[in-house]
Amino acid sequence: MKRAIAAFALAIALALPLVAQSFDPRKKYEVTFGVYGDLERAYREVLSGPDFKSKYPNITFKFQTADMNGHHNRLATIIAAGEAANDIEAVEIRFISNLVESGGLTDLGAKPFNGRVVGKDLVKFAMSNATTTRGKLVAMPVDIAPAVLFYRKDLADAAKVNLDSLKSWDEYIEAGKKLTLDRDGDGKKDQFAITHPGDVGVIPLNGGNGGWFEDGKPLEPKQKFLDVLDLVLKIRRAGIDADLGAWTPAWTQALKDGKVATMPLGSWFGGALKTWIAPESKGKWRVAYLPGKLYAAVGGTYLAIPAKVSAARKAAAWEVIKYLATSPVAQLAVFRSIDAFPALTTVYSDKVMDEGVEYFGGQKVRKIYADVALHIPESPVSEYDNVVLSIWMRAVSTVVFGKKSPEVLYEEARKKILATVE
Amino acid sequence: MRVSRGKGRMPYLFIAPFFALFAVFGVFPIGYSVLMSLFNWKMSGPVEFIGLGNYVNVLTVDPFFLSAVLNTLVLLLTGSLLQHFIALPLAIVVNSRFVKGKEFFKTAYFLPYITSTVAVAIIFANLFDTNYGLFNWALGAFGIEPVAWLADPVGIKVALSAVLNWKYVGWNMVIYLAALQSIPAELYEAVEMDGAGTIRKHLAITLPHLMPVVFFAVSLSIIGGMQIFEEPFVLTGGYENMGGEGNSGLTAAFYLMFTAFKAGRLGKASAIAWIIFVVILLLNRVNRLATDRMPGGGD
Repeated sequence: MKRAIAAFALAIALALPLVAQSFDPRKKYEVTFGVYGDLERAYREVLSGPDFKSKYPNITFKFQTADMNGHHNRLATIIAAGEAANDIEAVEIRFISNLVESGGLTDLGAKPFNGRVVGKDLVKFAMSNATTTRGKLVAMPVDIAPAVLFYRKDLADAAKVNLDSLKSWDEYIEAGKKLTLDRDGDGKKDQFAITHPGDVGVIPLNGGNGGWFEDGKPLEPKQKFLDVLDLVLKIRRAGIDADLGAWTPAWTQALKDGKVATMPLGSWFGGALKTWIAPESKGKWRVAYLPGKLYAAVGGTYLAIPAKVSAARKAAAWEVIKYLATSPVAQLAVFRSIDAFPALTTVYSDKVMDEGVEYFGGQKVRKIYADVALHIPESPVSEYDNVVLSIWMRAVSTVVFGKKSPEVLYEEARKKILATVE
Repeated sequence: MRVSRGKGRMPYLFIAPFFALFAVFGVFPIGYSVLMSLFNWKMSGPVEFIGLGNYVNVLTVDPFFLSAVLNTLVLLLTGSLLQHFIALPLAIVVNSRFVKGKEFFKTAYFLPYITSTVAVAIIFANLFDTNYGLFNWALGAFGIEPVAWLADPVGIKVALSAVLNWKYVGWNMVIYLAALQSIPAELYEAVEMDGAGTIRKHLAITLPHLMPVVFFAVSLSIIGGMQIFEEPFVLTGGYENMGGEGNSGLTAAFYLMFTAFKAGRLGKASAIAWIIFVVILLLNRVNRLATDRMPGGGD
């Protein structure tokens, strides 16, 4: 009997770390945090600030930072190998589909986290993107990037076009023709409407975040995808693009020099323009809704707790995630620091959202970001989204040359996707 | 007797650390990847045994793998093997007694090899830019229309070959230079006395003496060439572009990485790794047979 009791006690003791533990405010925690890019700088500022310190004086941090691809490769490797990861791992929206069905992340929707209740004020589409087909919530969105049309007001005025309320992409192309000019009169165009037709290759498709499958069939409904390939081809045929590869020096220089009048991208691009691409163009850029008031997101960050993290550490990690995702102080501080737009909808009524932004000529651009964020539709993600996105982008790049029709490229892409995911 | 038995064990004890580390970090991962290749093994969650299913899928159904291998073989010829036809004559020239400042040339040619591949690829991406690249500017000076190097299947291969040749010629040159310096000068003097010219001298003495080194250097090029990843990855815009137009820059190793880390198919990626390994073995066998038939080969 004694042996049986001892064995039972031992079993309980061994099982204890596996059982969910609650956060102990008297205990000291060092939370390890895997991030990429600018996030460490922004989170360090917030997590060393008086608000966090007053609430969680017992939590300190150790960051592991890498570039975006390096960070996600590491995360994928350790999850696949079943190794211990950091207590919190940041996941960029493009990588969330890979991880969402992986089973390597903690279900934050379950007890004791109750993430859906905690995140009731977070934007719906982002919560949906972090939810598995079986309903597990594997990450919490902390920032998002509503897609908008950035444009040069001075160039639009000179061309006498109004880009603030374009009703369709066709209207955009017509305006683009007026924005495309030979400014120096040498017989060659030197001002363009857009950097490359591929810039609109995924924006009309939820920004490339989910929605690639319908009833298990890829690239359905067909017309939606064909329309995008048609749009890309129309832009090239209209001769309004500068044929510049994204993020090349020539691309940034063209934006800096005002040789490109518009750029459809996520809200974070405003920060890039302001800080390093074209800081001297203060007052010249504006923000408009995408043509036809299209609602999409291009970018965003999620925070997840890997499944292998011990229960005690999960408790502390969850407190930190809750703070970063649902505290208005944290959400606004990160927004101010790195222009990462808040995922928390309650801050959209904060007075900061109603302030004019000097870089955009005093325009209240945050109101537009917030409105877009609230209207972005929920679109289901699948574990194949990354593969589909890559195959789709090849179709987008190829259609530009006009050698294959959108219909042919659509069929090719669909067949490749089916063969790849088989 | 005990003492001598103990002494007999000592050598094994001394070499044990290496073998222990090799077993843990070499043999185990290799064996584990064989195991993974037999399973439908995703990022996480349950794995399912599918036998040779991944191999069959990769070789028969997958729409990218065979073209990725073909791309790799083309780049192997135009990038990795072509450089030997540049490196060997270059080594002979640098080794010539008429050339001063050998150390400078050795360092200069070797520098690209130790330069960060990512930095090199970014610089070449700028050089090959359609609108603002130096190469199109130079072509424009002769009235030639700009070439969309990185937006054309052939252009991508030309750009990648240029990067590979530029980066690795110095490495091969240094290998050949070291080998050249070990050829006795008397041999050259003897053929010179027989009236041989420069070309004849190198065909009769240099090449046969260098053949084992040629085999070695070409083997390294085959192994490296079949695993090219960083150059096409950066030059063609990363995973999302899958090697650029026509998937022309999608190499076998690039597709392996894509399958593992972008698609999250670790079992399939392991199968790809083993197929690449078999291709490397076969190509090195061809290399062995070819060099054995050359003068000085098979010695």
